[in-house]
Amino acid sequence: MPERDEQELFARGHRACPGCGEAIATRWILKATGRNVIIVSPTGCLETFTSPYMFSPWRVPWIHPLFENGAAVASGIEAALKHKGRQEIRVVVIGGDGATFDIGIGGLSGMFERGHRVVYICYDNEAYMNTGNQRCSSTPLFASTTTEPAGRLFPGKNRPKKDMASIAIAHGIDYVATTSVAYPKDLFNKVQKALTMIGPSYIQVHTPCVGGWGYPSEKTVEIGRLAVESGLVPLFEWQEGRIVNFHKIRKKVPVTDYLKPQKRYSHLFAEDRGKAELECLQAMADRNIERFGLAGLSGSSTTEADTA
Amino acid sequence: MNFATREIAKTTIGGTVIGGTSVNYKTGKWRESRPVFVSRMAPCREACPAGIDIQRFLWEARHQRFKKAWEIIMEENPFPSICGRVCGHPCEEACNRKEFDEPLAIHALERFVGDFSLENRIQITPPKTNRRESIAIIGSGPAGLSCAYHLRRLGYGVKVFERSTIPGGMLRWGIPDYRLPGHILDQEIEKIRRMGVTVETRVSHRKDFLRGCLKEFKAIFLALGSQKDRKMGIPGEDLPGVWSGLDFLREVKEKRSLHLGPQVTVVGGGNTAIDVARTALRLGSKANLLYRRTRSEMPAVTEEVDQALAEGVRIEFLTSPISISKVNGGKRFRVECVRNRLGDPGPDGRKNPIPISGSNFFIEMDNIFTAIGEAIEPCDLLDPLKWTEEGIAGDEWGRTKVPGIFAGGDVTAGPRSVSHAIGSGKKAALAIDAFIHGGDSEKIKPFLLGKKGGFSMAQTLNPPSSNHRNDQVVRFEVLKDVYFEHRPRKRNLQLVTSERIKSFDEVNLGFTENMAVEEAERCFRCGECSLCENCYSFCPDSAVSWNDQQEIFEIDYDFCKGCGICANECCSHCMETVPEEKW
Amino acid sequence: MKKAEILEGSMAVALAVKSCKPGVISAYPISPQTHIVEYLAKMVASGELKSEYVVADSEFSAASIIYGASAAGVRSYTASSSQGLLLMTEVIYNAAGTRLPMVFTGVNRAISAPISIQVDHQDTLSLRDSGLIQFYVENGQEAYDAHIQAFRLAEDSEILLPTMICMDGWVLTHGYEPVELIDQELIDTFLSPYHPIHYLDPENPLTFGSYAEDDILMELKYMIQAAMDQAKKKIVEIASEFHRITGHSGMRLVETYRTEGAEVLLMGMGSMVGTMKEAVDRMREDGIAVGLIKVCCYRPFPSEAIFESCNGARAVAVLDQGFSMGSEGPLSLDVKAALSNLKTPAVFSFITGLAGREVTIETIQRITSTVRKGIDSDQIIRGSQWVDLNQSIL
Repeated sequence: MPERDEQELFARGHRACPGCGEAIATRWILKATGRNVIIVSPTGCLETFTSPYMFSPWRVPWIHPLFENGAAVASGIEAALKHKGRQEIRVVVIGGDGATFDIGIGGLSGMFERGHRVVYICYDNEAYMNTGNQRCSSTPLFASTTTEPAGRLFPGKNRPKKDMASIAIAHGIDYVATTSVAYPKDLFNKVQKALTMIGPSYIQVHTPCVGGWGYPSEKTVEIGRLAVESGLVPLFEWQEGRIVNFHKIRKKVPVTDYLKPQKRYSHLFAEDRGKAELECLQAMADRNIERFGLAGLSGSSTTEADTA
Repeated sequence: MNFATREIAKTTIGGTVIGGTSVNYKTGKWRESRPVFVSRMAPCREACPAGIDIQRFLWEARHQRFKKAWEIIMEENPFPSICGRVCGHPCEEACNRKEFDEPLAIHALERFVGDFSLENRIQITPPKTNRRESIAIIGSGPAGLSCAYHLRRLGYGVKVFERSTIPGGMLRWGIPDYRLPGHILDQEIEKIRRMGVTVETRVSHRKDFLRGCLKEFKAIFLALGSQKDRKMGIPGEDLPGVWSGLDFLREVKEKRSLHLGPQVTVVGGGNTAIDVARTALRLGSKANLLYRRTRSEMPAVTEEVDQALAEGVRIEFLTSPISISKVNGGKRFRVECVRNRLGDPGPDGRKNPIPISGSNFFIEMDNIFTAIGEAIEPCDLLDPLKWTEEGIAGDEWGRTKVPGIFAGGDVTAGPRSVSHAIGSGKKAALAIDAFIHGGDSEKIKPFLLGKKGGFSMAQTLNPPSSNHRNDQVVRFEVLKDVYFEHRPRKRNLQLVTSERIKSFDEVNLGFTENMAVEEAERCFRCGECSLCENCYSFCPDSAVSWNDQQEIFEIDYDFCKGCGICANECCSHCMETVPEEKW
Repeated sequence: MKKAEILEGSMAVALAVKSCKPGVISAYPISPQTHIVEYLAKMVASGELKSEYVVADSEFSAASIIYGASAAGVRSYTASSSQGLLLMTEVIYNAAGTRLPMVFTGVNRAISAPISIQVDHQDTLSLRDSGLIQFYVENGQEAYDAHIQAFRLAEDSEILLPTMICMDGWVLTHGYEPVELIDQELIDTFLSPYHPIHYLDPENPLTFGSYAEDDILMELKYMIQAAMDQAKKKIVEIASEFHRITGHSGMRLVETYRTEGAEVLLMGMGSMVGTMKEAVDRMREDGIAVGLIKVCCYRPFPSEAIFESCNGARAVAVLDQGFSMGSEGPLSLDVKAALSNLKTPAVFSFITGLAGREVTIETIQRITSTVRKGIDSDQIIRGSQWVDLNQSIL
């Protein structure tokens, strides 16, 4: 575990919104990688709020190429380091769900297939947030976005969330994991584990967004936690052809506890309209819990301790 | 805004920027509200009649700084080894951990720390100042000695006058050795003596004695206690051999030889009644107890009742004696009893017992003791004051109707316990100090602890910084229990049950050092930083950092955007957000 | 200097690239560029060439891979054509803006739709705004020599721009020509290993790809133009050194052919110039005062050199193998801009040879004749003339 007084590789003064989940994730990713790393960030919130000209919080080398080529550029950097014989320098991509699930999926698939030694970390805030909350394939069922808003005809997004982790698994890469900014020690451990892999890894970090999801800034971690504890966001690790580890839920919460505080789901709570949708989401959560055995004993400890 | 300069543009090509330069942009100016660290009141401390800074002493104990832990207790309560054995621990009832798994074993930890100081012969640092004035303290029980201790710490001259042959009051005569060994009491009292407190014994309570005190001393503290058993008010209670429980306990302490028959009955449900019953067992008799309500209304400390039952005391609940007579040629007693049912609650909140007509029955015993509550003994010293059987009338700071005469402990009306007595002695000390040095207003400005009347002497003398919210008591709902791990409470080591009644050896053996440290680690630190690191872990702006010198977390307000995640995730509720004053 | 060998154009390019020892090569197939990357793959597989060879999943990825490699401070190379070059466009702009040296071979081919794999210059011409340095080569020898100089130019600390050698698909890539190769030691003398001045390095953490506002963006973009201007001088310097070390003639901005006393100057790029030279010879034999300017370096556009070379002629006939839809042939637009301060020569724009339609000597003679009639009649023809269109289809 990192020391309390170590120098932060993600410096102060970046322009993230107050309460930004991505910033929390990035701090912990850098704690896990240490200094000997090159970070690639495709266009997105993280890129925009960390690189206004002349001010950069990145105390490690960092490059922002384009929107769709985070994985491809990382592949090139990895090849270059291999050529130079400097493979102790690691290559890590930190990109958003828009760049990963949609526009960059081709390049990502290529990187996985070629087996580059890159850790690809996707911070998933479930929409194109940098441009103001537009629908993405990562947007979950029934969430309202500006390009597929809830209205009289539709209850928000009408299609389920793309299962990007399964796509990564289907490539047969070394390591796939899902985690959340509400569990930073879990995130830290998973990044460190990914860094030990010989080939590609994929880590998806569930990241609440103050502006996009619509909740008061102090609740980022709380909402992230509720997402996991409701069963809607299972946290697991996949390695060597099978799921090896699940984060057990200590005390299950109903999905409404997670959904109600967010404006992007407010249409499900206006009068009686969203009842069927809420039942559907609860059923999804219950299915996750049953299928993956997420239920822990109430009062027993979780797989990753969350306090020092 | 034009940040670009030719120099910077020249040194970096293609818009490339040197890493780490974001520290030149102070995002703190975005802030609308500001998170700050505060100290709030822990419910254990609020509940402690002696006002001990419980979580601070637990913090020191968990880090094995037992001497420091002892010093913290001693700021408020001079008798940790005593309270750690006989206090009814309302702190544990109030402990927030009770809602999570089991409350902290504060009582046992106080004993551990107290015993540590005795074993290591840690001395009290003598007072720094020495005032001219002296105060007389009548009575060397817990109230009197506590007042003596605090007054001496404030620098006053103190003289304690005790009626008996040895000091201690109720602690000496009313509590058997298996609960509070005599040598522990001696050592605790000796500490007070060594501070420069004179204790004079065999002093009688005559009127001219009080007049003499008024001349010689600037103020007087009456801590006479209440060592007279109340009457039951039933026929036959004045028969010879119907004994006061307190008198019996005193006789045992004075090592008089006593003969008890095989069957002893005690009437009452408080600590004294239990003590009498358990003492009788140790003297070879069987004992039973008659109590008019049920177990949950018994005023005795829960563990004492448990131990009594384990030792073989039989308790007849919902039973009241209505008359006593002698039988067998005067060798035995016969008591007519009636069963009760519980009716509506009375003024103290406890349900009133209502006799069930026709439920009368008789029991016989060789000895019968009464222990249904104490009353104060009338004496000359009480003459100038207003008093009833309940006690001397006075305010919560011990002031009576006569300026200069103060009273505290069991001799006053109010809750009767060792810790209340200690607390009242401390309060009186502050009141006496105000009386002597406070000027015309005699205003007392105590640092109150929550709303149950307790106060802190240490923080009254040295008011802490403004971020103390001592009126905000932290309740379990505001703690972030999602971050806590369940751990069972440590159990006291105890004498093997079969050995207990064979002697007056101490039954509870306390904790080992490892047990003490592990138990202290269970403290949630309600209202104080528990080093959960959540503020540091979750700050999106890396604005919370660890100050190694002061061992605290700090917020860099140049960069804090005021999102409030730190305060929201704080495990022990020691943060608050305040509106930011705009530049 | 070695003896000339008969080599396929693609092989000449592959050998040139191999001798420059790039650290990372990326590849994606598209006709007619594929032979180049295939030869390089064989060289890597046999161990002759110690490069990291990354087979990409698209041209976008191929360009991105070498962008990343260049950012990591390693010499890198890829090739593409037509649709592939269009897909690389975003990365090429990005590389120019980030000032990363990368070398490309742009094998010219027509752009869909309709789809065609035949040669024209539309694909590379469409990259002309991006900040990419572009050379058009006439034959296999030039292709070989140009690639070696391209690495040196791109990596120059005053330039740092992506550089593309454009060569006609099929005609040059699949044609066999005599090519004189250069000894490796001479190449090593000319081209030292790449020493990047800014790259991704944990010892010196830099942030690449910042977000620029209106207070700095224009200046950063201007710096690309300034580098382009500087490149015109650098090209000449590098060419002179190349010649000195290897004996081969270096890259030029323009090449003039029989322009002395010419009344009409023909202008073109790429392999078509070979035919144009033959046509000039024939017309000179017939007594027509015609000459030829071959534009070698298209970006940066050698306005000064063209200005000088055109001095004295009465007309310039620009033969474009691409078109800017809605306007005119791109090369003629640049030429007209370069000569805009002059009344003479008059510039005539002709669109020829799209999607491989053959440009014969006879075609060129007809073009020349049209121009001569045009100057004599003092009639300025605006816009471009599309040569040899099949009117019956239109």
